[in-house]
Parts: sequence; structure tokens; C-alpha cells
Amino acid sequence: MTLAVHLYKRLMRRGRLIGLLILSSVPAGVIWLSTFEADTDEIAGLYTSILATLGFSYAIAVLILTAATLREERDGGTLPYIYMRPIGRFQMALSSVVAGTAAALTLAVGGWLASAIALLISGNDISIAMPGIILFAAAAVGYAAIFVPLGYLVPRSILVGLGYIIVVESILAFFVTGLAQISIWRISLSIYADFATVWDGQEAGDMLGPVAIGAGGGVVKLTVVLVLGLIALTQALRRRDAI
Amino acid sequence: MSDSIVVSELSKWFGPKVAVSEVTIGFGPGVTGLLGPNGAGKTTLMRVIAGLQKPSQGSVTIHGMDPRKDVSIYKDIALVPEDEAVYERLTALQFVELAAKLAKASDPRGRARAALDTVEMLGDADRRVGGFSKGMRQRTKVAAALVSDPDVLLLDEPLNGADPVQRAKLIDLFHELGDQGRTVVVSSHVLSEVERMAERVVAMVDGRLAAVGSVADIRGAMTDVPRQIFIEGKGMRQLASALMATEGVVGVHLERDRLRVAASDARAVSHALPKLALANSVSLSRVEPADESLESVFRYIVEGS
Repeated sequence: MTLAVHLYKRLMRRGRLIGLLILSSVPAGVIWLSTFEADTDEIAGLYTSILATLGFSYAIAVLILTAATLREERDGGTLPYIYMRPIGRFQMALSSVVAGTAAALTLAVGGWLASAIALLISGNDISIAMPGIILFAAAAVGYAAIFVPLGYLVPRSILVGLGYIIVVESILAFFVTGLAQISIWRISLSIYADFATVWDGQEAGDMLGPVAIGAGGGVVKLTVVLVLGLIALTQALRRRDAI
Repeated sequence: MSDSIVVSELSKWFGPKVAVSEVTIGFGPGVTGLLGPNGAGKTTLMRVIAGLQKPSQGSVTIHGMDPRKDVSIYKDIALVPEDEAVYERLTALQFVELAAKLAKASDPRGRARAALDTVEMLGDADRRVGGFSKGMRQRTKVAAALVSDPDVLLLDEPLNGADPVQRAKLIDLFHELGDQGRTVVVSSHVLSEVERMAERVVAMVDGRLAAVGSVADIRGAMTDVPRQIFIEGKGMRQLASALMATEGVVGVHLERDRLRVAASDARAVSHALPKLALANSVSLSRVEPADESLESVFRYIVEGS
């Protein structure tokens, strides 16, 4: 717990947090502009569409934040202070992923809150935004499980992560069925779609591709991603040089 | 007493670069100085012993355990890394308290204050480490290492940046820790520091062990290098001529008003010297070994390797 709290506090530096909250709130800005004079019937659909298509800005913010969880310790030369302690490597990996997930959830709350406030400012019903928190939270868990180990393993993890988000998730997954199934954003959307009452079926199909709507399946997939991320990080901490 | 740290046939390489080559050595209670020029492999050896880097070949055990496999050994080990890396945003007290908490020590706040007091940093406990001088950072890092009361302490260039007064105090502290029966390994490239800190010296050159033992032992083992003796007094010219004909003398240099004698058998020279002085009416004011300092010994080691 001490380690997770330490890593979380380290990630939550004020300047970085503000910048990443702004990045996470990009969909909120577009929601605010788009829903100004929209019909009440259209607003719920618009909200979901914008969140689904611009959500990668949140993914990028989470990448930048969570990849730094252990990478910053490693690059900054402070890793020995936590590595040379009687903490099991699995426990260390778990603490890191917990810290990364908590940091990503902080951004999730910020990004979701911004989208809710955008609806409120443009005079709309805030209840439309309620399922949005599920989308952000699910993505937080999935991305943290991938990007925390990535940050530890790869020196240019941001670049590799951007490649995954932009090339794999945003482009290739539209054409390659298998890739869509392992897209964290689509898995998160499949959970969200189970709760969002208004989402055009055609559009949902386009966004999700072969990924079936359903909270249960989505949660199972995210759990598998989480377990695999933990195994990878534990092995890396055990086998690789720490500095 | 058995060695706490046992290093066997240890090699560590990074791609084509060999940082440590086939090192076999043990470290027991007391202070051992790890000496070597920059790039000799001291830091790599320390990191491998600490379990931060895995050996490319060979093994390291601490109290019989492999630090790469059994993390419980970290209750007994602490490392003060060479680089200045610290958590800049934390205060000294927070930094040391974090170390205590991660080490699962009881009363982390109390222990942190005690450790800071040991290195005379308690007055700055509430200041951010980021604002500290290099010497203050070093002392804070030493406090973070001491907070878990380790049996094995690895200190990589711990005196870097410390002022002369603090250096002296830290050296006294390391002696005290060694006298308490802890295994203290201190690396340094500053010979005078190692000479003051450690009874036992481990010299490394180009990743290999060049010599191990006390300075006198190492010098004594260098039978192929003639001993240098300085002789001062009146009538040095006559004495030089007489010494040239003495058995065991391989060279005599007159340097202003003193002689530097190179002797293959220093004992024979020391026996012969009073007689030669008397026979040549030479008065001697000083006779002393010229190369039994760590600096001289180390120079021989580096030049010979």
C-alpha cells in the first residue's frame, strides 16, 4: 500500500495533472460546442458519438501518465530506493498497476466531469452523461494494465503507446477483426454500450466492429488484460536489470 | 568470521563491453574499501551485489541468499547509490520515512528522525531534498540507508560533495558501523579517503580484481616492484656511492638533499644503512618508505595491470 500511494502521489504532479486533464477533456469541449442548439432528442446520441470517437484523447492522456509510473523511477535513478526493499516482485507490480489505474481513474473522473459540465452549461440533462463514467473507468483499468508494464520495459514507451492507440486502435482495428477484439477502447465501449440507452445501432456497430456489446464479456476481457499485464511486469521486475 | 557477501566467478557485460570480469571475493564484517579509477567496474560490482543487475555469469549471495531470487534479504541490505537521484519534492524526513515504511520498519517516523540525527541532518528534516547541496543529499541518502538498520551496507562514493568536516564525520560513522560488526563496503576513487576509511582494500582495474588486502599486505606482495626509500641528511653524495655497492640496492637517485633508494631487499638495506653512515661520516636525519601509501601502491597496480 505504501508503495502504491508513493507512486500515485508521484504521478499526480500538479503541472502534469492539469495538462492531462485538459487533454482528457477534449471530448467535453466538442460536446459543449455541438450540443448548444441541438434538439433534445439528438443530444444523447451526440454525446455518445463524440465520446466514442474522440475518446482517444483520453487514451493518450492515460498513456502519458501511466507509462511514467515506473519509467520515471528508472530514468530518474530512484528505482533502487523501492527495488531494494523486502517487497515481492508481484506485490511491486500490483502496487504499480494499482497506482497507475488510480491515476488514470483520476483523469477519468476529470474527463467525465468535464463532459457532464459541458452538457450542463449548454442547458441539457446531466443524466445523459452518467454512463460515460463507466466508459472512462473501464478504459482506465485496461490502459493502465498495458501502459504501466510498457513504461517499465520500453524506453520510448510513449512513442510505442501512441503507435498502439493511433495506428492499431484507431486505424487497423477497423479493418482487422482480431485487432478490434484486443482494442482496449472497443472493449470499454462494449461495456459502456450496455449502459448507454441511446446509441445508434448502426454507429455502435461501426465503432465496435466484431466486439459484442455486453458488460460481462467486457469485464472478463479487461480482467484478462489486467492479469497479463501483471504477469508481464512481475516477470520483467524479476528478470531484467533494474537499472 | 565468515563472509556476509560471497561473489563467485562474477562477470557482467553490456553487449560487447565487459564491466566486471571473473571476480571472486568475499566481504565480511568491518569496512572494506572498493578502490579503482573511474570505469573500473566498482559501481557495476556494487549494483550486481545489490541485486539491481543480474550477473551475466557467476553468482552473488548475501547471507547465503541470492538477492535476485529472495527479496527478504533486503531487510538486511542497503545501498547508497552513486548518482544524485533523490525524490526532489519530498522533504528529508519524508524521504527517509518512506524508506523506513518500504522496509516495513516499526515506528518509521521515529526511526527516520533518528537516522537523520545520525548524519546531522535533523535540523533540515523539513526542507525539500531538491534544494539540498550535493553533500546534504549524500547524507540524506546515507540516513535512508541506515533507517532499516541493515547488516550489509553498500556505499557507492558516499563522500562525493561532502565538505571536509562532514567527510570526517561520515568516515567516523562508517568506522563505527564496521566496529558494530556490520559489513560495510565503500567505493571511492579518492585514495586518501579509502586509506582513512578501510582496513581492507579491494582494488579493481578494468573490471578485474587487481589486489585485495591491507595496504601493507598488498605492497608486501609486490615482490617484483623494488621498494622505494627516502633518506635525508648530510653527505648524501658519499652515501649514494656507498649504497650503490650494497647488496639489495637496485638504484639510487640523488634528489637535491635527499636520496631515493630502490631496493629489492629493503630489510638488507635497513641493516646496512647505519654501518654505511658511520663508515662514511654521514649524518642521517630521516629514513622513510616512499611508496607504502595507498597512492603509491595503487599506482603500481594500475601501471602493472
